[in-house]
Amino acid sequence: MASFEFELTRNITIGQYLPTGSLIHRLDPRIKLLAFTILVIAMAICHTYVGNFIALAFACYLFYISRIPISYGLSGVKPAIPFILVLAVLQLLFYSEIASGGTVFVDYGFILITSDSIRLVIVSALRFIEIIFLSSVLTLSTSTTQITHGIESLLDPLKHVKFPVHEFALIITIAIRFVPTFAMEMEKMMKAQASRGAEFGTGAWWRIIQRTKDVFPIIIPLFNVAMARAEDLVLAMEARCYTPGSERSIYAKYKAKSTDYAALLFCILFAVLLLAFPFPY
Amino acid sequence: MTKPLIQVNNVSFEYSLNNNRSIQVLNEVSFDIFPGEYVAIIGHNGSGKSTLSKHLNGILKPSSGDIFVSDHNTKEQKLQREIRKKVGMVFQHPDNQIIATIVEDDVAFGLENIEVPASEMKERIDFALEAVGMSDFRKRPPHHLSGGQKQRVAIAGILAMKPDCLVLDEATSMLDTYGRRDILDVIRKLNNEGMTIVSVTHHMSEVAEASKVIVIEKGQVVMVGTPREIFQHYELLHRLQLDVPVANQLARLVHEYDHEFQADLIHNDEIVQEVMRLSAKRGVYVG
Ligand SMILES: Nc1ncnc2c1ncn2[C@@H]1O[C@H](COP(=O)(O)OP(=O)(O)OP(=O)(O)O)[C@@H](O)[C@H]1O
Ligand SMILES: [Mg+2]
Repeated sequence: MASFEFELTRNITIGQYLPTGSLIHRLDPRIKLLAFTILVIAMAICHTYVGNFIALAFACYLFYISRIPISYGLSGVKPAIPFILVLAVLQLLFYSEIASGGTVFVDYGFILITSDSIRLVIVSALRFIEIIFLSSVLTLSTSTTQITHGIESLLDPLKHVKFPVHEFALIITIAIRFVPTFAMEMEKMMKAQASRGAEFGTGAWWRIIQRTKDVFPIIIPLFNVAMARAEDLVLAMEARCYTPGSERSIYAKYKAKSTDYAALLFCILFAVLLLAFPFPY
Repeated sequence: MTKPLIQVNNVSFEYSLNNNRSIQVLNEVSFDIFPGEYVAIIGHNGSGKSTLSKHLNGILKPSSGDIFVSDHNTKEQKLQREIRKKVGMVFQHPDNQIIATIVEDDVAFGLENIEVPASEMKERIDFALEAVGMSDFRKRPPHHLSGGQKQRVAIAGILAMKPDCLVLDEATSMLDTYGRRDILDVIRKLNNEGMTIVSVTHHMSEVAEASKVIVIEKGQVVMVGTPREIFQHYELLHRLQLDVPVANQLARLVHEYDHEFQADLIHNDEIVQEVMRLSAKRGVYVG
């Protein structure tokens, strides 16, 4: 039990890339990001039962064609369940003013439950799951490098309004690069502190203040280490001719193929369908 | 007479501390580094080795004196990129010099900075990873590599930029014996192919490999010479808290018992040869 608390590196899911070589994996990362954004927006707006069930089915279908077991998506949903439930209760109790149309089921004191407020609750839960599924497919089928390259090249036009696109991408890259390093560092420190009698993760999970306090002896040395690393990193970057803001060439050049465009077109059509089709429910 | 690649002329340097004080770290240092040389810089902790090596590619600028890298003065801001293209640098911590999330991208980082066209990059990355024996790892994230492998990636990142000189500041000190051996082999090979090497190190067996040794103490050059010449000054080195290679210690010990055994040997295989030589001479058979 206690040993499990220390295994931080094992629990890191960021950039949990699962190479299966499927069609989805081979798509241009820029296209994937674009399609992802479009689909998420469409799902967030679509408010019909049928539309959302179709969207959910579509998200499941994406797991199928990317040859990723759907259990990965479900394990992403699991930690969100308490959140979804709390949200559902809040919506049911306090959103009735907004969603007061339809048949009234319960009208007792301040509680007003109508068919519209039930729809709101169910549709929001579905949206949550759809979006988690969709982001799982994105991150499982695209390496972090591809994602940062994709973001960098999609944001490229913003250079004209002096947005530091490359610096932005570099910051993300370095952050991702150092997540495992710091996790390892933290693990080491926790072990060092524990061997001198400190207790980690022994308090019950609901004693949030206690557990937060437990972390302090780790956070401060971790900051120190981070600063030292940052200094070293700056030197190493300078030694390799890095000058912020100057012109650079770009190694990863992506060329969108016809399959990429077809996939994008398909996603756009799907989004339009979700938004514009008059679903009966 | 070939021209020096790096000229260090009367360089002094002081770090300025916050309250208007400063500490003198380098004091009138002068030496030349010629193309193709393998230079080891030794000196005990705090003697100013890292400070000196950071001067060689213009990360630090002399407080007085000048450093020329093939006639480019490191003080000239607009030559900075040219200088860093010529003199690449690898640091001590394997973890703190890899920037990207996969090996290949990290090697590309320097190339992107010096605006190598994308069409040429792949070839250069292939070459650099091949040179350090890391071709099979190009798609790996750095946290899945050992310390020695990370250092090799760091070297590849420099090699891809095709420098004339590689400066290593204790690049092997965080590694185990195997990791160190790998790095030394890579350095040896690069030097044989003509690359100039400057290596700051605490490992005397590494120093024995060099063609020239610079000993510094309190920011001053106290000795320059071949490893064999330097290791003759056993007492002086000892006073500077520096060692000699194990092979040399052994040779000295045997020399005390048997004056015919040479005392100035510094490599392990020289010891073997000396034993063979003497035993053949005295008619003893050694298998
Ligand atoms: N950034 C700095 N600011 C102020 N003083 C510094 C700084 N860096 C180093 N020094 C001081 O300069 C002196 C020389 O340091 P340097 O790092 O060059 O030594 P070194 O020979 O590389 O030592 P080591 O073998 O420990 O790496 C030391 O006394 C050190 O305290
Ligand atoms: Mg040093």
